[in-house]
Amino acid sequence: MSRKYYVCTGCALLCDDIEVETDNDVVTTVHAACRKGVARMKGCSNPMECTVGGEKADIDSAISMAATILRDAKNPLIFGHGNSSSEAQKKSIGLAKKIGAYIDDTSSFCQGPIIEAILQDKLKTCTLDDIRHKADVIIFWGADPSNSHPRHLSRYSYFPRGQERQRGWEEDRTAITIDIRRSETADICGDTRFYQIPMGGDAEFMEALVSALSNKVPKTSFDFDKKRILELGNVLKKAKFGVICVGLGLVYSLEQLEPLFTLMNKLNEVSSFHLMPMVGQYNMRGFNQNLFVETGYINRLKFNAETGETEHGNNYSVVEVLRDMSVDAALIIGSDPLSSLPLSIARYLAEIPLITIDPCNNLTATRSTVTIPCALGGVESGGTAVRMDGVEIELKKIIETNNPSDEEILTRITEAM
Amino acid sequence: MGFGQFLAAPEIKLKIVTYRDVFQNAAQESSRFGEEYEKLSAIIKLDPRDISRLSITENDTVIVKNSYGRVVVTAQRSGYEDAHPGIAYMVNSPWSNALVPDKTSGTGVPKFKDFEATAQSSKGGKVTGIREIF
Amino acid sequence: MEIYQFLPKTNCKECGKATCMAFAVDLLGRKAKVDDCPPLVNEAKYKANYEKLSEMITPVGDVTETGLIVHENKCIGCGNCVVACPVNVANDPFGAGSGKAPTSDKVIFMVENGIVKARNVQECRRFGENKILCVACIDTCPTKAIEFV
Ligand code: SF4
Ligand code: SF4
Ligand code: SF4
Ligand code: SF4
Repeated sequence: MSRKYYVCTGCALLCDDIEVETDNDVVTTVHAACRKGVARMKGCSNPMECTVGGEKADIDSAISMAATILRDAKNPLIFGHGNSSSEAQKKSIGLAKKIGAYIDDTSSFCQGPIIEAILQDKLKTCTLDDIRHKADVIIFWGADPSNSHPRHLSRYSYFPRGQERQRGWEEDRTAITIDIRRSETADICGDTRFYQIPMGGDAEFMEALVSALSNKVPKTSFDFDKKRILELGNVLKKAKFGVICVGLGLVYSLEQLEPLFTLMNKLNEVSSFHLMPMVGQYNMRGFNQNLFVETGYINRLKFNAETGETEHGNNYSVVEVLRDMSVDAALIIGSDPLSSLPLSIARYLAEIPLITIDPCNNLTATRSTVTIPCALGGVESGGTAVRMDGVEIELKKIIETNNPSDEEILTRITEAM
Repeated sequence: MGFGQFLAAPEIKLKIVTYRDVFQNAAQESSRFGEEYEKLSAIIKLDPRDISRLSITENDTVIVKNSYGRVVVTAQRSGYEDAHPGIAYMVNSPWSNALVPDKTSGTGVPKFKDFEATAQSSKGGKVTGIREIF
Repeated sequence: MEIYQFLPKTNCKECGKATCMAFAVDLLGRKAKVDDCPPLVNEAKYKANYEKLSEMITPVGDVTETGLIVHENKCIGCGNCVVACPVNVANDPFGAGSGKAPTSDKVIFMVENGIVKARNVQECRRFGENKILCVACIDTCPTKAIEFV
């Protein structure tokens, strides 16, 4: 029996073994996807409407209004992209270049620093398939995939049999959680494999681990049981193929990445360790890679419309440009920044002319001058996306919709400029 | 209701840690404006001792605020075995983001997961609706 | 019901049930043990039936024999149990056993609409002649959605 598999865009695992049943262009049954993926693939109960100034509008007038807003703006921002296809992202980058906009994505306050370091070859990485086939020591650091990427452990990191991992997880793999709270992932790893550290203690714990790996006494200001750190060090030393899955807990806790670089270098002196960024939205990494190819930067930049040159840096991050109020209009695609930014920063965004492109109604849309509904990526439109490990995955359309794809909408806005 | 209502509700300082929850996430995919999403988002998980310090019972609503924002959310027990007085947990949502400081110390990344706020009984106040957060 | 045929059918209530039929139902559901029927154990005339029944119904000891329950409201569809269950691994090594969607109908667990569905439960390692106290699906579940009662 041949089976037709689709891809779930519920998170950056982009599970590609999903079978669906449909009835009249409605997804009725989803096989193998997790609860979160099913919710996404079945679509939202509150689709976004096409509106201009809060009134229903046809798509043509919405697009021309969007173009007018962007044309009138001195410092427009294009933001979002986490839930957009690579094709749409490239159009977005092109549009930003054309109009001299700030462009940024959710990675800016998410996994950005880690992905940047990976793309610059500062951190050793691997694919999820490598993890399935080879990984014997897996650390979830500040990550709780059981909630953020529900199938991570079952598809790749802990439970599956792989080429070099034939005997099952109990014998073949050691999974460890390092976190400030006992997450559900920590529960699965078990008490002896859970290292609970205090808030903000990650960098220090890394240093202690480096000491342990160097056969020195691992000291922490929070007096973590030295014996347990030494034990952990021994487990890591014996690893044949180790992985650190870096979650937002760790990203937010580290002021800079130095401690992580030091730990990874040390680990690769004594054994072999790889790093996996636990990217959330399905194509955040795609945006980083697409922009990197184009400009050498993964996010946070401003194009000069005349010269096409870019300015880049922390001051160009969405958070900073909104905080210093230098943006005077924004196009939001594949994201809901009014929900995900700190309110104090989101407030300013809510005051300027906004254009939202998304399949579903969201908080940003309620404050937008123009809202343009697009097809739901991976369900109502195809395209490509980049998995958390950098592997490109082809999305397949499952059902028909009247809404254009995110790529088409951006193409039309660009043409209308 | 006794004289509780005439006394100033005790206010306690909390360190707030945010986390992700798959059920809440699934509810978000279905609708940002749904009841389910609010029910699973507008909550704060406290140590039982903090619940008593606040003179409230589980499922009462509390005002959580700092200089960045203010929300009314439902108080629940965290259910963690290890005691954690002074530390509270909120699922990542517009309600937690209402309290996230905009300071980034130049990194461009706010402290989404770890910030301070105070909590106080709302004396029966209603949970802040998602559209009222602004 | 075959089990009933081997009981004394006297409805003496010594087992605490109102009728032998009620007892038979509980036996089937493993809520009662064959040894809970005193006449069957003690009276010589029932010896053959006692032995027969004991063979038919594997005793409830440390190993719970039935009653796999999935608490659907807790299940997140992560597939950990699907991939970890030794029966799934044996019957579908390159699908479920390798972390992917099951490709065989002989698996015990399969996720549908985000919630695990149990089938072929008779294949569970807790059943049958070479039963073992397998806990693979219980230990790997992040939300404790699987229970045996
Ligand atoms: S783990 Fe992520 S990609 Fe896989 S089914 Fe769940 S939401 Fe979809
Ligand atoms: S003891 Fe035996 S005969 Fe008496 S009620 Fe129970 S099952 Fe029936
Ligand atoms: S107890 Fe073992 S064999 Fe039985 S269903 Fe669970 S994992 Fe499978
Ligand atoms: S391990 Fe638990 S949560 Fe995951 S699919 Fe199985 S029953 Fe559901």
